[in-house]
Amino acid sequence: MPSDPSRLIAALARDRINLDLKTLDLCFLAGLYLRADRASLASFEEDVLIDMFEQVCDVVDPGAERPRKRATHAIQRLRDQRMLARVDGAGIVRSGEYTLTRLAAAVVEYFLADEALTRESLTLLTGTLRAQLAEILAAARRAETEDAWREHVVAPLRITVGDLVGGIERRQRGLDSQQEEVQAEIAKLLQVDWFGAVDRCQSLLDTTTNTLRELNEVLLRDTHHFVALLQEIQALASEAEQAEPEEAVQRVIEHVDRIAAWGGARQRAWSEYYQYVHRYLRDVVRLDPDRALSQRLRDQVANWPSTPFHLLVAAAPSIRLLRPLESRVERPAVMRPRTDREGSPDLVDPEDAGLNIETLVEGALAAGARSLAEVTEWVLPQFPADLRYAVTGRVADVLARITRTRSAIERPWRTVAPRLEVEDWELPREGDRR
Amino acid sequence: MTTSSFQSLEEAISDEHFPEVDLALRRGRHVGRDDGTAYDYLVDALDHLEPFYRRFGCELMQRADGYFYLLPSGDRLGRRQLTAGEMLVGQTLALMYLDPATLQHGGMVQRETLLQRLSGLLGTETLVRTLNPRRRKFDERIAAETVRTKVAEALRRLTDLGFIDSVDDAMLRLRPALMRFAEPVRDLSDRQAALERLVRSGEITLGEAVEKDDSDEEDENDGSDGHSAEDDEEEAGG
Repeated sequence: MPSDPSRLIAALARDRINLDLKTLDLCFLAGLYLRADRASLASFEEDVLIDMFEQVCDVVDPGAERPRKRATHAIQRLRDQRMLARVDGAGIVRSGEYTLTRLAAAVVEYFLADEALTRESLTLLTGTLRAQLAEILAAARRAETEDAWREHVVAPLRITVGDLVGGIERRQRGLDSQQEEVQAEIAKLLQVDWFGAVDRCQSLLDTTTNTLRELNEVLLRDTHHFVALLQEIQALASEAEQAEPEEAVQRVIEHVDRIAAWGGARQRAWSEYYQYVHRYLRDVVRLDPDRALSQRLRDQVANWPSTPFHLLVAAAPSIRLLRPLESRVERPAVMRPRTDREGSPDLVDPEDAGLNIETLVEGALAAGARSLAEVTEWVLPQFPADLRYAVTGRVADVLARITRTRSAIERPWRTVAPRLEVEDWELPREGDRR
Repeated sequence: MTTSSFQSLEEAISDEHFPEVDLALRRGRHVGRDDGTAYDYLVDALDHLEPFYRRFGCELMQRADGYFYLLPSGDRLGRRQLTAGEMLVGQTLALMYLDPATLQHGGMVQRETLLQRLSGLLGTETLVRTLNPRRRKFDERIAAETVRTKVAEALRRLTDLGFIDSVDDAMLRLRPALMRFAEPVRDLSDRQAALERLVRSGEITLGEAVEKDDSDEEDENDGSDGHSAEDDEEEAGG
């Protein structure tokens, strides 16, 4: 099983795990569980399963038709959901033998077993836990090798102590749900019997209060001892430089702390609830034994829009706090620091690259250039590479001004420098120029 | 013979609880057992504080349900009457306070349950008209939204007044002070006579409330832009 919760959840989602148990299924499982428990059966023959299903059907759904066929479907449904497992391995050779799975047992136990924490069960569990921890402490004192630590300290801490602590926690959860039931029962008793239920409610409240107080006392006393024993084991592990036992002890300590915190938290929560109910019984139920107030109030609300009245409440405004007296506030003028904003101009090289283009173009023509491309090719090498693109345009401009150019309808593209082409013009002979 | 641990008014108002309790009472808050030491202080200092507040023209009231509040009878201390929304929500919460089903959860109720109860008691139509007396036409969606807004506003004010505690966005804790809303029907006498008695003692006023304009209320209370669903409807309808 993957230890990472996200991976575990992803795996459950991938396998599309789900449970769909009807009341009849649960009753069937409960019947099998009780039968196995009473008759000490490890497994059931198919006939026993069908017989049990029919018995359950008689109770849950007496008018049901074809119970045997329904039993076959129910058995298959439970097998599909891993509640029943076939254990004989005989296939179709003979009818099967089935057993309840761990999952089925857990589900049935949840509904059947009374696992709420009581003073007796808690005292027994804490007593066993204390003895177990004392044994582990003795083993830790004797342990000399890593194997001895693992076998006599880590394993009992993880399994025996873990189970005992888990048992206490499970019963705590049981008591939590029992408390919820008590709360629901008090509400139900009052709904049904109002004034007549006061004494019964009071008794329920007192019983739960006493149980919680007793449990909390036991927990406070015993968890203190557990932590002392565990810390001693942890100190020995630390001294022996055994990281694994140290970590195992730490986990149990955290578990025990959680158990102790439960006691305090539940007692506080119950105390609030107790006070609330107590006030309710005194101020509401006892003062209105016929439960007439609710009805009168209901009528009042329903009729309020036609005969409205309004409660009056005090509404003094907040005290106005005046600001400290400041007769004159000197507001400084907006200003910025003085600086010499008329700085001397910087000296830079003149940008006169374009000034001699016309001279250069004339030179090119004089040298016998016969087209825009030839003139451009002649001029460009005089300029740095980053200016050549701009210079190309200015050459064409100068040429257009100082000569008459001719061009074909489709002007040919000619390369004048690397990555630079112009649409060419032809130039007139020297005697034809302007 | 007094059982107060305070020997004089001076001692009572020198107590560390006085400023906070005094401000809370003057702002209309109902101080109950749930307020812990503030309530204990009032119980202890009652003999000295009753005449003290009487000089301001108001009565420091103590109820058997376990709460105190200040009831102004003159003009020396400001007072206000609860709005229609506050009254309807308050009475319904009082009814829920009496319900044993609420007891199961230690006096906690869901806001949603309150709305269901209100609607069940009055009917949606009456509820909408009572909470919006000036509107003539209603769109169902806008009306529902307006009711929710008004109820939320009423709950906020009832929380400030100590009638309830707001636990979170969904849950409310009911306090004994809610029983003030049940006062007219508390005894078996004629309801009209009970109302008249309460009017004489300055606990209630009869008739329609003088309510402020909605936009004023919103500006005052939550600093929102005062642009509500109703306004949208108004604009849409011309």
